[in-house]
This record gives sequence, C-alpha cells and structure tokens, in this order.
Amino acid sequence: MASSERYSFSLTTFSPSGKLVQIEYALAAVAAGAPSVGIKASNGVIIATENKHKSILYDEHSVHKVEMITQHIGMVYSGMGPDYRLLVKQARKIAQQYTLVYNEPIPTAQLVQRVAAVMQEYTQSGGVRPFGVSLLICGWDNNRPYLFQCDPSGAYFAWKATAMGKNFINGKTFLEKRYSEDLELDDAVHTAILTLKESFEGQMTADNIEVGICDVSGFKRLDPSHVKDYLANIP
Amino acid sequence: MSSSVSRPYYPDYLAETPTKHHFSPYADNGGSIVAIAGDDYVVIAGDTRLSAGFQIYTRQQNKLFPLTKTTVLGCAGCWCDTLTLTRLLNTRMQMYEQEHNKTMSTPAAAQMLSTVLYYKRFFPYYISNMLVGLDDEGKGCVYSYDPIGHCEKAKYRAGGSAGALLQPLLDNQVGLKNMQNVQVESIPLDRALSILKDVFISAAERDIYTGDAIYINIVTKDGIKSDSFPLRKD
Amino acid sequence: MTQLNFISFQSILSYNGSAMVAMKGERCVSIATDKRFGIQAQTVSMDFPKVFEMGPHLYLGLPGLATDIGTVYEKLRFRKNLFELRENRRMSPQIFSAMVSNMLYEKRFGPFFVEPIVAGLDPYTCVPYVCNMDLIGCRNEPEDFVTGGSASAQLFGMCESLWEPNMGPDDLFETTSQALINAFDRDAISGWGAIVHIIEKDKVTTRELKTRMD
Repeated sequence: MASSERYSFSLTTFSPSGKLVQIEYALAAVAAGAPSVGIKASNGVIIATENKHKSILYDEHSVHKVEMITQHIGMVYSGMGPDYRLLVKQARKIAQQYTLVYNEPIPTAQLVQRVAAVMQEYTQSGGVRPFGVSLLICGWDNNRPYLFQCDPSGAYFAWKATAMGKNFINGKTFLEKRYSEDLELDDAVHTAILTLKESFEGQMTADNIEVGICDVSGFKRLDPSHVKDYLANIP
Repeated sequence: MSSSVSRPYYPDYLAETPTKHHFSPYADNGGSIVAIAGDDYVVIAGDTRLSAGFQIYTRQQNKLFPLTKTTVLGCAGCWCDTLTLTRLLNTRMQMYEQEHNKTMSTPAAAQMLSTVLYYKRFFPYYISNMLVGLDDEGKGCVYSYDPIGHCEKAKYRAGGSAGALLQPLLDNQVGLKNMQNVQVESIPLDRALSILKDVFISAAERDIYTGDAIYINIVTKDGIKSDSFPLRKD
Repeated sequence: MTQLNFISFQSILSYNGSAMVAMKGERCVSIATDKRFGIQAQTVSMDFPKVFEMGPHLYLGLPGLATDIGTVYEKLRFRKNLFELRENRRMSPQIFSAMVSNMLYEKRFGPFFVEPIVAGLDPYTCVPYVCNMDLIGCRNEPEDFVTGGSASAQLFGMCESLWEPNMGPDDLFETTSQALINAFDRDAISGWGAIVHIIEKDKVTTRELKTRMD
C-alpha cells in the first residue's frame, strides 16, 4: 500500500510529508480532462477547448463548455463537467451579487478571487471533496484583457497564455514558441486552435471545439459557422 | 389634517396605524401667496392652481380678493373656507362703509380679519391668509395670519403650500438676511416684481400644489393694478 | 394624557433636527451641514458632526436620527475600507452611494432613520457627483443639488433659486452657504452654526460659518 493512499480515506487531510493528496488527485483529474487553451491578445482575450463526443448520435451545440458569467467575463474548464457547472452557477451568482451591491460589473480579478475562495473552501470543509476542475476565466475591464487559471486548491494564476488538461505541457511549450505580446484577437484564435490541434485526435471540426472571445464589447461564444471560418485557415 | 400648516409633511413616511374613517370638514386645496411691501406700494401674488391631492380642479383660480381700493386679501388652503370667509369679509366691509360713511383702512381690515378668524377659534377657517395694502401714511404693509387669527405685520411674507420653500428666499433676497456689508432699505417695485416671479418659478419646480400661473395685484395710491405671469403647468 | 409638544412630533427623522445640502459645480462639489443636535425643541449640543470624510474626494452626510448617524457611519466606513483593501482601488462616489443604498435596503422593514447624502469627485476622472436617498436607500442622482434634514423644504426653495450651472469653487461656497443659512434660519430645529466643505481635485476647503444662534 503506497503511503499516500493511507491518508486519502476521507477528506483533504495532510500527509506526513505535507501534501494534500486529494488535491493532487483532483489535479490528476484535470490533467486527464479535455484540453483547453487561453490566450491574451492586445485587443482582447480568447479561450478555447476541445468538445469531443463519443457517439455520432450526440446532439452537439446543446450543452456548452464555454460559458458566459457576465457581459464581460467568460469561463471554460478542463476536468469534470458536473463540478464545472456548479462553479459556473456560483460564479454567476457572485457576479450578480457584486452588481447588486455596487451597481457596477464585477472586476475580473474580483470574480476570480471569489471563485477561488469557493474552490479553497472545498479543500478544507467536512463532507466534501475538492473540485475536479481547473478553470480558465477571461474578462475585459479597466480597458484591458484578463486571463486567469483557477485550480482545485484555490490557487489562481494570471497568464498571458496557457493550456490545461490533457497534454497541457506540450500545449504550453507550443504557446511559449508561438506567443507574442502584440498578437491580435484573430491571430490569438488561430494560435489557440493550432494549440488544440497539437494533441487533437481525429478530425477537428466546428462541432468538436468551442471558442469564446472577450473584448471591449464583451464576452461571446463563437457560433460554429464562425469557428468554421477560422478552421479554414488551419493548414 | 390638524393644526399648523407650516409643519413639514412627509406623506411617504407616515406610519400606517389603524384609522377610523369619518367625515372631514376640511380639504387642503393648496396654493401659495407671496407679498412684498415697499415705501409707496405693495405687491401680492397668488398662484392659480386649485388642487386636491393629485387632482387639479382648475388652472386659473384667482386667490386674490380686493377688499377696498387699497386693500387686498390673498388666501391659500381650504377653498370652501376661503369662499365663506371672503363673502363674510365683503359683507363686513360693506356694513362698515354704511355705518361709518368711509372705507375701512388697511390696518382696520387687518384687525377685523384677526377677530373674524378668532371668532371661529374651535372650528377654524383652514386658510393661510395674507392681507396687504397701504397704511394710513400710504406705506405698503403685509399682514399674515395663522388659521385662528394670530396676526403679524411684516414687510414681506410667503404663505401657503410653498411657504416653507419661499420664506427663507425672501429673507435673503428682500430682507437681505445673512448678507454682509449691505444696507437694508426698501426695494423698488420692479425689483419686487422680478423677485416675486423668480420665487414662484422656484416654487413651481418643487411644490406640486403650486403652478400654472400667478395673478399679481400691485397696490399703489392710484388703486390696484392686476397682472399675470405663466408658470410651469405640470 | 394630553401632552403639548412645542414641535409637534411626527417623524423620527426630524426628532433631532438637521439641515444638509450638497451642490455640483464646475469640477467641484460642495456639501454643507448645520451643527445642531437637539431633542425635539431642546438644543443639546452645537457641535455635532453629521458630515464625514470617507476619502480624499468623498464625503458622506447623514441627516436624521442622531443615534443612527453614528451607527450608519461606522458600518459604512467598515464596508468601504474592506472594499478598498479587497480591490486595491479607491471607491468612486457612484459605487459608494450604491453600497449605501444597498445597505439601507437590507433593513427595509426596520430602517435606520437617516437620509444620506453623498458628495464627491470621481477619484480617477474628477467628475462631480451628488446623490441623496431616502431612509431605505432609494437613490436620487440629480444634475444640480440635493437637500436633506428637517429644513429640506426650505433648502429646496433656496437652492432652486440660487443654484446655477458651472459655478467655480468660490461661487459654489457662497451659494451653498447662503442656501443653508437662510434655510435653517427658518427651521426651529436646525442651525446653530454650519460647516461647508468645498471639494476640488487637489484640495478640500472646510469652513465653519458663524450664524445666528437662536
């Protein structure tokens, strides 16, 4: 019996070496999940993810992975779908509560902080398990784009570009080579699709990836016809 | 509706307590009166809106009642009481004329009004009255009253629904209160008229019971001149 | 028992008496208050603070019931400081008044008896802002001026005539002072000295006015 397993019988409990193995398992669940990518451009920020289905009978474009939180904030995940949906619900509620109190859209950094606090709470409460997802939260406020990653531990990071989920190490290496500060939104979408394509198994179509764009006009999920246009430029 | 007219009124914050419904002999029909006296003239103006709550009965109701050639009474408040009071006063003026063979002076009319009001001490006329005219020396004077006949002589006065809004303004602009290095002297007629119009424009902005237009009476030794001036109608 | 109250008691909001006004000017705002604290007609103190500095360009006025003034001020100071620490940015007057409004409405059925006035400049753009609200937080954000307290009717009359657009700081001071003093001179339960703050981009001028004390 591996020593780490001895402390994984119930909640997030420290192992003698100081690890919280439940969180590491959660991260493993993320790393096994579908890949997603986020890239900041000079005039906006994009998030993209794989949305592959096991059967041709599946009705695509009904259940989405890229979700809007407020007018100017969007979110995507790698990991477990059901956990993500709960966080989307919480994030939307947090955003609306902020608007109710301050009569102003929530700053992206604030939303990330508060969502991260929710995720942290699930690493320290009784009777619960950590979330099996990492989030990519993109937003536009203060006249600039924001891109954050939120992990199951409650840790969050601000990225210029990043990849999560299956093959994320390769994805990140790819982005490190491709990224430049003065990328425009269109180039960013292109780069994101290329990053997903690196590890994509099978044919990439407008029906098995999702792209979200956030700029000064707000957040929107691209519709398949739009994604198709971008795919047409992919070699 | 009870006692004083000048009490602040917050209709939105009145506590809902169980109420007994019974006949109320009074109505508040609103309206404002402003009067300014000078050395040889006095002007009095009343708005022309007659209302009850959110209803406007008419937009052209004159609330100024000339009692003699040098005396004018302005009334705001319960309109039915105004009608009764003015009818009574006109009668009393006529009786005085017939008994004494002369027209009543303004100070005498002012005293009489006080008596007439106090006569109904326990069922008062619900009116803020303002009596203006020229005194025995030909000087302009303003007498203002509470509903039960307390009388005060002044140089300027605002009364009625916008009284609280306008009185401090008159203190400042006519009485030159809280001004430094100014000499308090009586103001010329054209200045009085322009202040009068200005204060009513202000009152019409904020008081829903004041508006539509004003009627102005200018009393000089030559008699009473009438004028009018439009206000906002909403 | 028959009781004869000199000031007939009808609203908790005018139990202690107050007069307060805030005006917009050209790249400046003013907020002014009387200094009286009384219990109905009896004056207790003539140096009672009712306008509070919430930040370099942000002032809060709380006309109403004296006991609630302190409580509401402390609660709002708490919330504002927490916001500024959490978000690492200054609170604009708009956000602040939204927060005040929200806090008051939390007590919709057992309200604090204050009708707050917020005056200030935007910390980044310096655009003037004035706002008042009722005791449960219904906001009013006009382009000219706001009034509050037991002398609010008198203040409305004064401001409506004296206020004009685009006043400079000196004009604004004179107008605000005259409006306030003449208004509370006609209100028995406010007055007894006044404080006027003129808020500009790089300075706030606070003046105490000598007034009649009766």
